[in-house]
Amino acid sequence: MTARTCPLPPGYLWWLAAGFLVWCSALVSVYAVHAIGCTFAWSAGPLRLGLTLVLFAHLAVIGWMWHRLGGADQIRDFGQTGAFFHMAAVWATIAAFATTVFTLGATTLLNVCM
Amino acid sequence: MSASVDQSAQGSPALQLHRQLAAIWGTGPGLQRLAAVNHSIIGRRFMATAFVFFAIGGVLGMLTRVQLATPTADFMTPGTYNQVFTLHGSVMLFLFAIPLVEGMGVYLTPKILGARDLAFPRLTAFGYWCYLFGGSILTGALLFGVAPDGGWFMYTPLSSNVYTPGVNADVWLLGVTFVEISALAFAVEIIVSILKIRAPGMSLDRMPIFGWYMLITALMMVAAFPPLILGSILLEVERAFHLPFFDPTRGGDALLWQHLFWLFGHPDVYIIFLPMAGALSTIIPVLAGGPLVGYRAIVVAIIALAFVSFGIWVHHMFTVGIPHLALAFFSASSAIVAVPTAVQVFAWLATLAHGRPRWNVPMLYVFGFFFIFALGGLTGVMLAMVPFDWQAHNTYFVVAHMHYVVAGALAFPMLAALYYWLPLLTGRMAIHQLSVPAFWLVFVGFNLTFFLMHLTGLRGMPRRIYTYTGEEGWNWLNLLSSVGGFIMTIGFALVVIDLLAQLRYGRRVRRDPWKAETLEWAMPIPPAPYNFASIPHVEIGPDRPAPDGLAPSLARGEGYLGFARNGWQETLGVHMTSGAPEQLIVLSRSTYLPLYTALAIAVAVLAMLFHFYLPALAAALVVAGLFVLAGQSAGLSRDYGPLPVGQGVSVPPHTELAGSPPWWALVFTLIADGTLFASLLFGTLYLWISAPNWPPPQTFTPDLGLAFATVVALLVAAAAARGSQRSISAGGTARGWIGLAALGLVVAIAVVVGLIGDIVPRPTEHALGATAAALLAYVAFHAGIGLLFLLSNLLRLRGGFLSSRRSMDPHLTRLWLDYTVVTGVIALGLVSALPALVRSLGT
Repeated sequence: MTARTCPLPPGYLWWLAAGFLVWCSALVSVYAVHAIGCTFAWSAGPLRLGLTLVLFAHLAVIGWMWHRLGGADQIRDFGQTGAFFHMAAVWATIAAFATTVFTLGATTLLNVCM
Repeated sequence: MSASVDQSAQGSPALQLHRQLAAIWGTGPGLQRLAAVNHSIIGRRFMATAFVFFAIGGVLGMLTRVQLATPTADFMTPGTYNQVFTLHGSVMLFLFAIPLVEGMGVYLTPKILGARDLAFPRLTAFGYWCYLFGGSILTGALLFGVAPDGGWFMYTPLSSNVYTPGVNADVWLLGVTFVEISALAFAVEIIVSILKIRAPGMSLDRMPIFGWYMLITALMMVAAFPPLILGSILLEVERAFHLPFFDPTRGGDALLWQHLFWLFGHPDVYIIFLPMAGALSTIIPVLAGGPLVGYRAIVVAIIALAFVSFGIWVHHMFTVGIPHLALAFFSASSAIVAVPTAVQVFAWLATLAHGRPRWNVPMLYVFGFFFIFALGGLTGVMLAMVPFDWQAHNTYFVVAHMHYVVAGALAFPMLAALYYWLPLLTGRMAIHQLSVPAFWLVFVGFNLTFFLMHLTGLRGMPRRIYTYTGEEGWNWLNLLSSVGGFIMTIGFALVVIDLLAQLRYGRRVRRDPWKAETLEWAMPIPPAPYNFASIPHVEIGPDRPAPDGLAPSLARGEGYLGFARNGWQETLGVHMTSGAPEQLIVLSRSTYLPLYTALAIAVAVLAMLFHFYLPALAAALVVAGLFVLAGQSAGLSRDYGPLPVGQGVSVPPHTELAGSPPWWALVFTLIADGTLFASLLFGTLYLWISAPNWPPPQTFTPDLGLAFATVVALLVAAAAARGSQRSISAGGTARGWIGLAALGLVVAIAVVVGLIGDIVPRPTEHALGATAAALLAYVAFHAGIGLLFLLSNLLRLRGGFLSSRRSMDPHLTRLWLDYTVVTGVIALGLVSALPALVRSLGT
């Protein structure tokens, strides 16, 4: 495939951070729902359900980004720079997915307001 | 039209060009040195000042070791000891580690990226003066016996005016915030410079790895410093005006300070570490004789590290009573942050394994780093585990860990970098007969001092105590730690002697003594103030431009901008990702304005310290005036269109392009501002959820009409700013639009002040009133700054700096006012919702 002559738009830089920005959102949201739920004495079942939904919603978003990046051949078309960004963005997104599972997976297992 | 190119100088082409450029870029003699804005000068000043503060912090550290060497010592009184250890930590973190990183970034970044200077030379100089004056206030307080004495993280309520009634805590809060202006200025400067001012052809994938490290570090600073700045402002307001943000008896919460402090404090460890890792990633391939292994993996790893380092602030608060589930999040994050760090360490080891390492002084310090950092990393993972942390919390084990990761990870790479880049600074190599024993003294002394502190901590010795009875089993450990401290100090003294001797007796070297392949060696050493007589075109990379062959042709002016024009300080702006030439950036020349502005801030800080609030306000107004004045000499006063920059390329000056450095500077400034605003929202909601003594006895009824009127006034201002932008782009004067925008802002400020006056409970009575007042004050402050933008627009219109082509100013004003509208709507919405939120808590 021939590389495009126009430079890679700067907006693609966001893809390097996008996965971890969603991770930040997941951490803040889970922490906030947990704090509010415990303060207002929500019962354990609905609170855990809420936390799990928040976690899986964020995982779904990162998963979608991963899937989209995997098929984003147009980034690779921007020559060597495009290929570099594509590879870096894919791995940063995978790292964000793994970090989200590892850091917030406990919401599905542990006691919520102890 | 193009401007004339001077051809008058005599001599060979290289010498001729050197004379012309030196006349433009040089700084004058004598007192004119105070007006310097050149990055090489400011970078050297940053580093030299940081080393002076390092010496002060080191002496303070040694004083604590003298006190603790033996039991029941009365070398210092408890009060003096508190000041000494507090200042030791504060100086080392805020006045040595961070500024050293800044100095290194300021000095090296343009050189490594093939640029002549940073994007905003006056901002660089302003940052330095803020650092110098803020640091002097902080350390000078020790001479008067009023240095901070509440620990380097200033925990409340100890630092509140109930338990610290003197000015000690104020010195820390105001002094450190003053210094942090420098850090934020540096961060914005570095981000914009790396993204926009590189050698043509240096696409981001060809950028030397050092550039990636500095870019990520600066982005982290933009997000990490605002929470601490906010915390410091709120605590100072509590101390000075009695608004109870952290006072639990009036609805505040001491833990809010811990959250705000560690939201800064933990990323700060990586803010210090990453530039040093960048130095290691530059040095190791050169000394190993091969390319860096895993460039892309390292880029991904430092992005991951940057984010995850923010998500682990609570691991400093594992013992404060946080629910177990939340402890699990932060414990897991604290463990996983080791992975991206390990990726870098393994990449360095692989680079060494694939090459043929040269054993020299920088490499000695690299190996010292590996040893120290591995130990610090391992104890970090231990402390990330909650059950272990509960045992070791607040003991000398934490002190030992902290020194291994912060001091070790900073000091050893710093000395490796110092010896590696010393020829660039001075043109001479170090004297190895002295530097090798100096290394071993530092290495042995460091480990003797701090390794034993792990054991002292595991035997239960708490931090911050000024003495002990001698029956606890800590005697020999403390004595050996103190002996180690002195050995380490002798080692550092030998390093200083080595450096001084090197200045006199070191072997002179020509360019590129290490056979490195980064651009800072493609210039004469020590470097000229313009760095490159002409700017190179980078065709391969990263880290592969072979400077030794490139340098002579650059000196002859065979690259870009190999000529002098109009007395301008010129460098090239490039496309952010591809590195294609995009704009001619004309930089500001030497001026005293940065010095005067920092002096005015110093006056304001000192006036606040002594509770002279009217003089402080007057000084703040002078600062605002100086900023507006600075705008009156920025940019070009006429249109030029595309100008030739060499190699057959013509580009417009930055003043005639939409995506120029000032635009990006404001974008990243607003990101920092937005982080501060988000921290304020977090603080408000945190107090609502967690603080004792909520709800307050009475609550205000929100005046939705006035809140709506404020939003409308802000919207009118933002819309008028758009009108002003369109008018100037069409060649108009836009005075009517600017007047309308100013009217909208004045109305908004007046209404917000009225809203603050109606808050119940009063801001001094309960944290509900205090947080509502803080949110409204934030809106009023931003509207006030918007007025300064408009005033500057008017003055620059009159001065001929704006035209249909040169219309950056109204774009900047519009961006600021858009931000003010968005944050204003959120702040007013939250203030209006607060009474309902309070009611939801019940009674």
